[in-house]
Amino acid sequence: MKTGKELKPGTVLRIDNDPWLVQKAEFTKSGRNSAIMKTKLKNLLTGYKTETVYGADDKLDDVILDRKEATLSFISGDTYTFMDTTDYTMYELNAEDIDAVLPYIEEGMEDICEAVFFEGRLVSVELPTTISRQVVYTENAARGDTSGKVMKPAKLKNGTEIQVADFIQIDEWIDIDTRDNSFKGRSKK
Amino acid sequence: MKPTWDIFCCVVDNYGDIGVTWRLARQLVAEHGLAVRLWVDEPKAFVRLYPEADVEALCQVCEGVEVRRWEAQWHVEEVADVVIGAFACQLPPAYIEAMTQRASPVLWLNLDYLSAEDWVEGCHGLPSPQPNGLRKVFFFPGFTERTGGLLREGDLLERREAFDREVFLRDMGITLQPDARLISLFAYENGGLANWFDALAEDARPNHVLVPEGRILGDVKTWLAVDNLAVGDTHRRGALTVQILPFVRQDDYDRLLWSCDFNAVRGEDSFVRAQWAGQPLLWHIYVQEEYAHWEKLEAFLDRYTQGLESSAAAALVELWRAWNMDRDMGLAWKQMLPHWDELALHARHWCAEQAARPDLAKALVQFYRNWI
Repeated sequence: MKTGKELKPGTVLRIDNDPWLVQKAEFTKSGRNSAIMKTKLKNLLTGYKTETVYGADDKLDDVILDRKEATLSFISGDTYTFMDTTDYTMYELNAEDIDAVLPYIEEGMEDICEAVFFEGRLVSVELPTTISRQVVYTENAARGDTSGKVMKPAKLKNGTEIQVADFIQIDEWIDIDTRDNSFKGRSKK
Repeated sequence: MKPTWDIFCCVVDNYGDIGVTWRLARQLVAEHGLAVRLWVDEPKAFVRLYPEADVEALCQVCEGVEVRRWEAQWHVEEVADVVIGAFACQLPPAYIEAMTQRASPVLWLNLDYLSAEDWVEGCHGLPSPQPNGLRKVFFFPGFTERTGGLLREGDLLERREAFDREVFLRDMGITLQPDARLISLFAYENGGLANWFDALAEDARPNHVLVPEGRILGDVKTWLAVDNLAVGDTHRRGALTVQILPFVRQDDYDRLLWSCDFNAVRGEDSFVRAQWAGQPLLWHIYVQEEYAHWEKLEAFLDRYTQGLESSAAAALVELWRAWNMDRDMGLAWKQMLPHWDELALHARHWCAEQAARPDLAKALVQFYRNWI
């Protein structure tokens, strides 16, 4: 069982005996400390997609999935090919299947991802909690601020924009927390 | 045969849960001819709003609504055609089980909280398929056409226009000084009260504040420096007269709001009613964890202040922030006063704009018709 607030991209729910992949999950506080999770679901048997809302405490049947380590092999248009790091099997996913992690997917990334399988079929990919990405553009730092409290936008290689500390400069590598898309600091690499 | 509706109300705190569900139940009966049962787990809260009710009764009919006590030990009842769980309350498991067994499907609605935030439009009306095969639907009240609207009785604004202010104030025992500004105050505990009352007391114009019994009384007592405050008490400090009123039933609270030049309200139900009063208002929003309520406050202000001159909008925003974020209420109040006429006119426009949309009860009934 999973509760509504535990849903995240890659979770597969069993609804009316069909497996539904959570492609997107948006947590929102509604009122008086109650919360909802808006989700985008895809039926893994028919491909049909729908949007739903769950209460944060709603109890839902989830499907136990197989997980394997995989790395991004290459991107071709909207198709993303991942490779099983143990047996070198290649798996393809469409952009919409990895909507939640797409902002951080880029050619040449070396992250060891977690590939999620349902009945032998790759249905989604999850990134490590911390990833390292290079800043390709950001404005110059405001003079003197080294506290890390002042933030500014920065662009990554694939166009994703993220808030970073003011002292970060172009070409620097930064650590990002993929759970909340927050800037963690300069990468050690 | 009339469609049957069950509304479940779990009283968490205060009177918002029961206030909204009782109002909705009454309207569904009176205006849509439906058979409505209102299940309440805290009858004492209901009796405060409807004093004729019997707090001990398991079942009673009040204004055409069958009001049932929702006991911890659930006795199997026939499931209604439409089931509303208000404010994300959890229905009795036995009732949910009975819903799965019903020969004809049930429309199960989660009537959620009111918010002006943009995400509401994207969630309103979305299904929530449950593991037991039932389909719950999330229904959100709101301020735009892509939401469920606001609770408003069909004749509310006509009644407001026909209302005799002088008679009502006299019956309530309220005597005003000439030219006094009449203010109603219904709020949670608020540290900004002293600051505001200081400003009202120093004002050139008399201010008369009516305070129905409630959580703000402690702060009023502290400011007045009195040991006790009781219904009927009136105290004067400078230009400010403070009068304590009883906790009134919903219809009288509407009349109170209509009578006042300015209404300070709280939570959800009184907040909406103050908008229908068409007078400038001040909202004390329900405090949430991690200051989530601030976003909700700002979202409403963003919508509400559209069409106002920027200086009037800024003054109103600052007043609401002061009240909800522990800022200087006295200063904010004084800075708001020069914009009074514009804010009063704007409150009328906002009311008319909202009233042009289908009300929440009508939207629920229409949703059910479309669903069947």
